[in-house]
Amino acid sequence: MKKQFLRFTALLLSFAMIFLMSSCQKETPKLKYTAHYFDYFDTATTITGYTETKEEFDAVCEEIKGLLNEYHRLFNIYTRYEGLNNLVTINEVRDGVHQTVKVDEKIIDMLTFSKEMYEKTNGKVNVAMGSVLRIWHNYRTWGLDDPDTAELPDMEKLREAEKHTDINDVIIDKENSTVLLADPEMLLDVGAIAKGYSVEKVAQNLESKGITSFILNVGGNIRTIGLNGENKPFKAGIENPDKENEETPYIEFVELSDNSIVTSGSYQRFYTVNGVNYHHIIDPETLMPGKKYNSVSVITPDSGMGDALSTALFLMDEAEGKALIESIENTEAMWVLPDGTQVYSSGFENHTFEYQTD
Amino acid sequence: MKISKKTKNDIILVAVILLIAAAGLLVANLTRLEGNMVLVKIDGNVTQSYSLYENRTVDIVTGDNNEFMNTLVIEDGKAYMSDADCPDKICKEHRPISYSGETIVCLPHRIVIEITAENSVPDLDAVA
Repeated sequence: MKKQFLRFTALLLSFAMIFLMSSCQKETPKLKYTAHYFDYFDTATTITGYTETKEEFDAVCEEIKGLLNEYHRLFNIYTRYEGLNNLVTINEVRDGVHQTVKVDEKIIDMLTFSKEMYEKTNGKVNVAMGSVLRIWHNYRTWGLDDPDTAELPDMEKLREAEKHTDINDVIIDKENSTVLLADPEMLLDVGAIAKGYSVEKVAQNLESKGITSFILNVGGNIRTIGLNGENKPFKAGIENPDKENEETPYIEFVELSDNSIVTSGSYQRFYTVNGVNYHHIIDPETLMPGKKYNSVSVITPDSGMGDALSTALFLMDEAEGKALIESIENTEAMWVLPDGTQVYSSGFENHTFEYQTD
Repeated sequence: MKISKKTKNDIILVAVILLIAAAGLLVANLTRLEGNMVLVKIDGNVTQSYSLYENRTVDIVTGDNNEFMNTLVIEDGKAYMSDADCPDKICKEHRPISYSGETIVCLPHRIVIEITAENSVPDLDAVA
């Protein structure tokens, strides 16, 4: 009788265990949510977050949207906004010269950071190169609109514009919060910096409020905050720059926590002239699209730095780029050469992992 | 060694329990692997969802006056945009997607095609 009771209890316990095992196995207190926006920095924004409730996720997204919108308006070089001095205002010419413009502290900080990046990248990232980039932008827009009549910009015109790209002519007055472009022909273009810089500022703002388990992805500028819902690093795939390759869509997988990854690639934004693709990353020396690599990815804690560095490395010789990366703490890079070969900085592979497919 | 009848019964009991446990886990896992889905999101909201394993062609109409059109094709476990009347055609150039977390974005028409699934490998949080 006693034994039967014991057996019965054992059976009961076993069933309880089965039940627990099958329900426990995927215990996820936090759920993954995503949101998409289309109105910032001329690219798609994806927010991924792990939260307990949808309401919590939505509240953080509202916060992110507000901040992104603010930076988008301030750093815009194409659109002016009523009652707001932004980069368009700084680029304006009145009576043949640029005016001293009073601007938000955020613009002062971003331009100061841009000057630091100019120094760090040996001039490869130059926000004062707007006069050259504007010409490329116009030809690209035209070429995309009407591919049959697409043309390359005239090199003489590009060289003429190049004369007005001296970053020392960007006069920042921190005390009075003003900016003046001392060269009337000069234009600011923050395309290689503003997106990553803004993402970083938004991420830092969220971090200061204790928000965790989020990823900001603004057009491939990825910044992760904390760990994912299972307290593991976030997983990101690095796109194969060879878009035709359907077998290997991702050439590397990386794990990220409180880290950012930015890729600059020749495949991202381009137009076609006589069957040849011309992308948007313009070398300040040749004034033509960089040809050394198919893509360069940079992993570094600060996404603004990642944005600038990926552009700079894309335009630098391998040796120069490697020396630069090795000189910066917690920063790694991967270069994809035109033949598809992947080259890594010393610690890049500490971030990669293999997916066990099937 | 002689095994008593009671011990034998115990072994059978344990075996049966283990079998049930294994079956339970299997069922739990199978029901979770319900297969990848293709989500169509317009302006951030899911408007349609389809199984990745049923071939089909879908016209996605957007715009205030239904003036824009993208064509989504789901074929052999992959999804791609076969046609689009947007100016940049970046979505059309995008390679077919099949992994959970992958997306195709049409910025001008505010469309996102997204693959979702549970327990799929690879499951990406972002693409750089």
